[in-house]
Amino acid sequence: MSSRGGKQKKGNVTSEQEEEEQPLQAVLVADSFNRRFFPISKDQPRALLPLGNVAMIDYTLEFLTSTGVQETFVFCCWMSNKIKDHLLKSKWCRPTSPNVVHIITSDLYRSLGDVLRDVDAKNLVRNDFILVYGDVVSNIDVSQALQEHRHRRKVDKNISVMTMVFKESSPGHKSRCEEDDVIVAMDSKSKRVLHYQKTQGLKKLQFPMNIFQHGSDEFEIRHDLLDCHISICSPQVAELFTDNFDYQTRNDFVRGILVNEEILGNQIHLYVTQDGYGARVSNLQMYDSVSSDMVRRWVYPLTPEANFTDQQGQGCTHSRHNVYRGAEVSLGHGSQMEENVLIGRDTSIGANCHISNSVIGNNCTIGDNVVLDRAHMWNNVHISSNVEIHQSVVCDGAVVKEAVHLNKQCVLAYNVVIGPNLSLPDGTVVSMHHPEEEEEDDDDEFLSDDQEVGHSKDKTRQKAFNPAEVGPEGKGYIWKASMNDTEDEELAQCLWGLVLNPDPESDSESEASEESQDRSRSVSPEIDDVNAFQLEVLGTLQRGLEENIVCDNLVLEINSLKYAYNITLKEVMQILTRVVLEYPFQQQGTQLTTLQYTGSLLPLLKTWSPVFKNYIKRAQDHLDCLSAVEELFLEQDTHQTAMVKVLMKMYQLEILEEEAILKWFSTGATNDKSRQLRKNQGLQKFIQWLKEAEDESSEEGE
Amino acid sequence: MPGADKETDLTERIEAFLADLKRGGSGTGPLRGSGEMARETTYLLRRITAQARWSSAGDLMEIIRNEGRRMTAAQPSETTVGNMVRRVLKIIREEYARSRGSSEETEQQESLHKLLTAGELSEENFRQHFVLLKANVIEAINELLTELDGTTDNIAMQALEHIHSNEVIMTVGRSRTVEAFLKDAARKRKFHVIVAECAPFCQGHEMATGLSKVGIETTVIADAAIFAVMSRVNKVIIGTQTVLANGGLRAVNGTHSVALAARHHSTPLIICAPMFKLSPQFPNEEDTFHKFVSPHEVLPFTILCILTFLSELKVNSVSSPELITLFISNIGGNAPSYIYRLMSELYHPEDHKL
Repeated sequence: MSSRGGKQKKGNVTSEQEEEEQPLQAVLVADSFNRRFFPISKDQPRALLPLGNVAMIDYTLEFLTSTGVQETFVFCCWMSNKIKDHLLKSKWCRPTSPNVVHIITSDLYRSLGDVLRDVDAKNLVRNDFILVYGDVVSNIDVSQALQEHRHRRKVDKNISVMTMVFKESSPGHKSRCEEDDVIVAMDSKSKRVLHYQKTQGLKKLQFPMNIFQHGSDEFEIRHDLLDCHISICSPQVAELFTDNFDYQTRNDFVRGILVNEEILGNQIHLYVTQDGYGARVSNLQMYDSVSSDMVRRWVYPLTPEANFTDQQGQGCTHSRHNVYRGAEVSLGHGSQMEENVLIGRDTSIGANCHISNSVIGNNCTIGDNVVLDRAHMWNNVHISSNVEIHQSVVCDGAVVKEAVHLNKQCVLAYNVVIGPNLSLPDGTVVSMHHPEEEEEDDDDEFLSDDQEVGHSKDKTRQKAFNPAEVGPEGKGYIWKASMNDTEDEELAQCLWGLVLNPDPESDSESEASEESQDRSRSVSPEIDDVNAFQLEVLGTLQRGLEENIVCDNLVLEINSLKYAYNITLKEVMQILTRVVLEYPFQQQGTQLTTLQYTGSLLPLLKTWSPVFKNYIKRAQDHLDCLSAVEELFLEQDTHQTAMVKVLMKMYQLEILEEEAILKWFSTGATNDKSRQLRKNQGLQKFIQWLKEAEDESSEEGE
Repeated sequence: MPGADKETDLTERIEAFLADLKRGGSGTGPLRGSGEMARETTYLLRRITAQARWSSAGDLMEIIRNEGRRMTAAQPSETTVGNMVRRVLKIIREEYARSRGSSEETEQQESLHKLLTAGELSEENFRQHFVLLKANVIEAINELLTELDGTTDNIAMQALEHIHSNEVIMTVGRSRTVEAFLKDAARKRKFHVIVAECAPFCQGHEMATGLSKVGIETTVIADAAIFAVMSRVNKVIIGTQTVLANGGLRAVNGTHSVALAARHHSTPLIICAPMFKLSPQFPNEEDTFHKFVSPHEVLPFTILCILTFLSELKVNSVSSPELITLFISNIGGNAPSYIYRLMSELYHPEDHKL
């Protein structure tokens, strides 16, 4: 290593020195830009939620500082005042701090992309910088990755723009977030990322062949990687975000870079570490597992007793079986702290309690005979006697009255009162905010918090609490269907917490899902080009029908779409055929009888025949069109009899030529199903009729 | 204002030192031996003495005690830091007494007899101001620093008295002091060293390469083989992290098993420990005593998805004084039972608890 470094130094001493002198910078995004932690994050931004009694952003800042970052830009949006207050009070803003923290707030940030565009606009970074979220917990030594990154940039003249840090961990590991699960194809030697794909919700994975054709001869396809959400970026990253205004997330960026690799020549690399710990608290399940990892000392030296935030009175003692006790903790007679327990200062615990794998905050009171397992209790929580809590989150100021059972994955948000004598089923979420409020201020999600709070207070007074839900003395509303993103619906089964099955009838829901569909369309055009194109074509045809647009104009529109989505002519034709044939199903539902189907389709074919004629010109085009027809009817096997009529109509409209049909019939059969299709009686007759017609015409010709 | 500059410079240095301590041993911070740690602490304390604002010895002691408390809290397992703070406090006491011109008599420890005869003893308050005190204290700290610099050499010099030709020596893990000790003996004598690798960190491997480079015949064995090999060993020479007030040890994990095996075979167990490792702690303070690190080394993170059990990795173990034959420090060899005496020479009893 050292000898290599020496050689470079001889090469360009001045630039080397310049780079060495520049302080290492970091961009910390203290906003998640999603609503995973709703309704908890309604009262407190995610970065300030306590993990092991320390705000998450403190872990991130400590991580940055320990890797030698000297200047950090913290970008906040949602509840920026609170984050600012917290940071100004913390040790990071003391004049002696080795890491200078600049806080930048704006209500206009809606995504990571906006933040980075602002970084570029303000010209904040001068050199390679580390990009993290405010909820990353890590002790990875990034300096090695940083060195590799700088080395690559020196050798390859700024081709590599980003190095992503991953940790090795087997698939299905509890600290792996299913949302963030990725599969990565990379070059073994250069660690260059060739293909990057999120696996969530996918049963099939596709790798473009061309990635394996050039480059070195060794490749790795890895699924054993845990995304730490730590990236080392060159200043170009910010510029690239500015250039491509549709990039919202890092995922967009990575995919964009990989797709445009040949054009722009930018590359992304990977750094895989085996030791060290790094994870992002991206949902409640991750919160649970990261918290337990932290208590089990995986993030050493960021352990609870280290008191790295340097707060007075935060210190605690550590004893065997990972039991941590803060100052002034009182433990009643016969109470057991089994293992992996963290108890904050001034907390008192009654007699005969049984506590395991739990984190209890400061100033809590816990009654007698309480059973806590995997409970996360924040500050000032009051738990009465005979309570059982399993794998749940209890936020600041919540009160749990006597004999309450919290089953798995419950969430009690701020200041909620529950009980007495109640059992909350799995996955119950209780908040002081009424769920309907949520729908109303859906749009102004990023309002300033004062406004928000005043607003909500009026609301809570108006509506009465339901004693059946929260108990006779309870305060709070059961929170259902709070998630608006369609992705979350899919995640409902596998993620803990706030994701219950959304109410299908609610208007806001469908609106929102449409929105998100729009977003996903604009967000990831590369992968869904074909689908998106299909949707667009459908829209165009629909509009054409409603507004009576001339077919020539339709052709024009489709052509422009073709260029927009970069679709080949062949695909255009196949998609067009498909869209037209499916049109009746689209309009009138899939329960059509064959007769109804043909009845509505045939006039359509007639109207749109010029469009077809425009695309179907060469002999090969005819065959492609026919195979598309065949494909569709193979799927819709109840309507196979309609196929003959369709072919007949197309023949009559001179969209298809008889030669092509005959050729398709004789040669096209590739598998059993299509062979079966060709045995259809109607089709046989049609073909025979065609043959005869041909004979006749040829005879006539003679 | 240069004064203010000095002040912030000082606090900056202290903060940086604290941060280093907190990250100590994780691989992210600079990893240092306890000798270096002791030196750095002393440098910092000298700087505090020179730059902080104080008018009397009492003020200075208060400042140093405060900083010392923070430093020890930052990494309780690193006892050297606390020891050096106590040494400096002792120096201040001595220098103050000397400036006052009081005799040796008053400086000596309080005995039962004295307590009975003295009646209302005037409490020393260290409030008197002396112009030369600062210079004297700094001078004395400099002497302490030279002593620290020479410790390893002083210990190594005694090697020939303990290691004889054709002996088989066993050691555990890696200790800079022991390495220097053995290397010094190897200049004149030929002997065989068996190194227990000391899993899971396997510092023993480093030790073995270091020793074999200077031509010492070295064998690395697994920790499990310690007992089996012990019968052939003439002497066990190991290092330690801390020498406890009762003459016990707090050393790298695995030391205790070596000590027990040595006792079983009646093999002498010799500890190389410089004086700055002598701590007034007793092995009953469970909480601060052990250092637990990430369980990564024994249980890879990757396989955790299958297993969920309690995983802990303790870095050190405690051995009781009766297992130990001899301590070799920079001021000579001592039996474990004599440690209490050394303790009273090095530290003032009032400083035992910072």
